[in-house]
Amino acid sequence: MPSHPLRVAVVCSSNQNRSMEAHNILSKRGFDVRSFGTGTHVKLPGPAPDKPNVYDFKTTYEQMYSDLVRKDKELYTQNGILHMLERNKRIKTRPERFQSCKDQFDLVITCEERVYDQVLEELNSREQETYQPVHVINVDIQDNHEEATLGAFLICELCQCIQHTDDMENEIDELLQEFEEKSSRPFLHTVCFY
Amino acid sequence: AGTEDAAIDMTTSEKVVDLLNQAAFMSTDDKLIALKQVQELIINKDPSLLDNFLDEMIAFQTDKSIEVRKFVIGFIEEACKRDSELLLKLIANLNMLLKDESVNVVKKAILTLTHLYKVALQVRASSLNTIAVCGEACWDMVTQMKGDVLALLDSDNDGVRTHAIKFTEALIITLSARTPSSEIPKKQEGDISLDKIPKDHSYIRYDVLAEEGKSALEQLLKFMVHPAISSINLTTALGSLATLARQRPMFMSEVVQAYETLHANLPPTLAKSQVSSVRKNLKLHLVAVLRHPSSLDYHSQISTLLLDLGMAQGDIARCVPTSAPTRKRPR
Repeated sequence: MPSHPLRVAVVCSSNQNRSMEAHNILSKRGFDVRSFGTGTHVKLPGPAPDKPNVYDFKTTYEQMYSDLVRKDKELYTQNGILHMLERNKRIKTRPERFQSCKDQFDLVITCEERVYDQVLEELNSREQETYQPVHVINVDIQDNHEEATLGAFLICELCQCIQHTDDMENEIDELLQEFEEKSSRPFLHTVCFY
Repeated sequence: AGTEDAAIDMTTSEKVVDLLNQAAFMSTDDKLIALKQVQELIINKDPSLLDNFLDEMIAFQTDKSIEVRKFVIGFIEEACKRDSELLLKLIANLNMLLKDESVNVVKKAILTLTHLYKVALQVRASSLNTIAVCGEACWDMVTQMKGDVLALLDSDNDGVRTHAIKFTEALIITLSARTPSSEIPKKQEGDISLDKIPKDHSYIRYDVLAEEGKSALEQLLKFMVHPAISSINLTTALGSLATLARQRPMFMSEVVQAYETLHANLPPTLAKSQVSSVRKNLKLHLVAVLRHPSSLDYHSQISTLLLDLGMAQGDIARCVPTSAPTRKRPR
């Protein structure tokens, strides 16, 4: 087992649902975890599919909550968005954009292929400095409440297995293969360097 | 309150002595905290103390804790970056740690040698003839360690191999010359590379170093075509080649050829999802190479590969630099 706790980042598009659900569970299990979004803006469902609520990454979960209560309390209570924001503000103040964070992680877990691509593009565009490796793994999770919960448990199990390996880099390939079989989902996996 | 006052009155030197004495009897976690404080005090706060306490700090390289031994490696790196002449003394310690029984210590030692190889060459190149005599043993040891790490491309351990690839990448960059079309990362602008060594240097053989660099590239290319290479090491090597192509465009032909060969012969051992991951990486790095003005002569090969990897013709065209071929790609 590595002597220091894994530094994990979970990343989805808006840092609201999938990454926050995983952030919640991982931090309860004692992981050194942070969460991010890769989108240019934070998007939440609106009154119609073509009318999302769009915020920038500076807006706090609290401000979004107040905004939606003001706009249509019943709608956003009924579709679970207020409940989600309530949970999010208990975890941290505001969503964070992955591209703006220069901290180093051991493991970055993304929740869809497009987000994985954006993380890879960002990490590869940075100048190499320390040559410290970071493993990036994509676990496809649909962006709804139920899938986010199931996905978060899968991510948590995966992180626990990785944390308990004697030699993460030597065992991660095999471990991911086993997980793929068990969960019947393909994982994308790569390594980047800081 | 009395002890607190005493603590405030202590000189930095006394504080260091105190921390080192305590560290010897501490648990691993506390020991690491104390040693980090010492490092801060003697490297950043008062570097004149560094030489004084070097031996005491290095003594922890035989600590039973892996984390403490890794810390000592980090300390060696920081100390040599602060005062490069210390490398003459500390290289032997790093050499011991490179042979440690724990792979995590070995990996950290490789990472540090990746940074210190450049420092060693800098010391070797800039020292006066008198120092050069005692620097010779140090350089010989660095050269031997370089060979040892290159040999670790064949290690049984996947993570050790990954670190050996990154070392090889940095080594090839150092042991080759920058050209006007080399893309130089800002943070590496001051780094030494072969172009800074005069061809008639009195004791450094330019041609020998250039050959060592080429041979390292050959070893990396050979490593890449191993049929049982892991997807992670393949990915690492693909990235290293893209870095080499952009920073040392004279290797463009070798890099593009290696990409073509790989694309046509993906290792049979890769699982389906690993194939997807590797193809995605190949695409990413091909685009990075395509954007470099020096890849102009290879655009048709690169475009063919990218089309095969599912990129649309229009998207490929958008990655080709429109400006004159000598202009550097904006970052």
